[in-house]
Amino acid sequence: MNKVFLTFIMFLFSFMQVNALSYNYSSTKSVPIKLKIVKEIDSESEIYEGQKINFITISDVQYNGKLVVARGEIIPAKIETIVTSGMNGFPAEIIVDEFEIPGIKSSQLVGTSVKKGQNRALWVYPLKWALTPIPFVGSLTNLIMGGHAKINSTDIFTVYYYPEWK
Amino acid sequence: MKKVFVVLSLLCICNPCVADLTGDTYVQGRVDNIGVKLLNANRIQNRMIFVYTKEQKQKELSLSKSLTSRQIIVYDGLYQSVQTDDELAAMLAREISSAVKSYSGIWGGKLDAAQVTLGSKKFETVADKRAVDYMVNAGYNPLGLIVYINKTCPQKRGDKIGRHNLTSKRLARIYEYITYKYPSYLENNEYINNEFYQNFLLTSVENRKKLEQKIKTGSKEEIDYE
Repeated sequence: MNKVFLTFIMFLFSFMQVNALSYNYSSTKSVPIKLKIVKEIDSESEIYEGQKINFITISDVQYNGKLVVARGEIIPAKIETIVTSGMNGFPAEIIVDEFEIPGIKSSQLVGTSVKKGQNRALWVYPLKWALTPIPFVGSLTNLIMGGHAKINSTDIFTVYYYPEWK
Repeated sequence: MKKVFVVLSLLCICNPCVADLTGDTYVQGRVDNIGVKLLNANRIQNRMIFVYTKEQKQKELSLSKSLTSRQIIVYDGLYQSVQTDDELAAMLAREISSAVKSYSGIWGGKLDAAQVTLGSKKFETVADKRAVDYMVNAGYNPLGLIVYINKTCPQKRGDKIGRHNLTSKRLARIYEYITYKYPSYLENNEYINNEFYQNFLLTSVENRKKLEQKIKTGSKEEIDYE
């Protein structure tokens, strides 16, 4: 009988382990953390994926009356992806992620920061279709490139800190 | 001893996790579990669902359902090539990264979705890299993506005109991304005895030589893979 009981307990234990998740998104409490870049970057300059860049917090971040991040704190992040500008007005994109905020786990942060260049496809495609009846002319719009992506020091990025998430 | 077996058998029957589900229900359940795990582990706040179908894949020029209605469609033909959870996660992670893109930008993401389709070479590379990140964050081995693509994507003669990158280029870029960002998966390589992974290694010797050269010189230039 003891063996039966032991087996049952072991089974329950293993079942509980299988269902234990490493996250729990019950809480809706979030605190915005506003950041701006320290040194401006441009998709056409010598930047590369994986490059570390620094941001700075633009105001104190508090939660429950406690200071979480002080104003002026340097926050390192990484250039996750660079999409260069393309034909037909496709804009360039710089995606920044992996913000390293002291005392905050990455699993408690939400918000990937994307900066796009000017999207000229909005007028390039109508122009292409308008010119299509004239042989070969519509294809010339292929040569119009999209805008470069530039992260200026005036651009404000917001990532959200969920303090009660695991 | 008999009692132990009886109890164990009863528990197995009562527990849906170990119940013997077969066919479409099993596949849909497997797809759902891995798909939702990828979404949760990556804290993706955009809604999307996973649908397993026996239909054939539509022609490539139409907008994928992952971009229009945020449905990740798993076609049976491709599913047949999936053996491990890593490979299924790879298949889903690729589509998730496209679907996420369809949520950004103006007109409810319609323009971005169209651009993913029209400018697919650039976004194909981006989606491959994001898929690697998603897999790692959800606890899957990103080398599964290499195995999955190596199995399922044909090698065309060139990619100068087409809307897709050569598969060998995609694989080389994914391998490079893993080399720099998640080197531990290559150091403790669980796929070293996998025939498909070995086939990738065999067919990517020249590209891997270029990567070795880049690492040696510390260059930040993009490699022109073959």
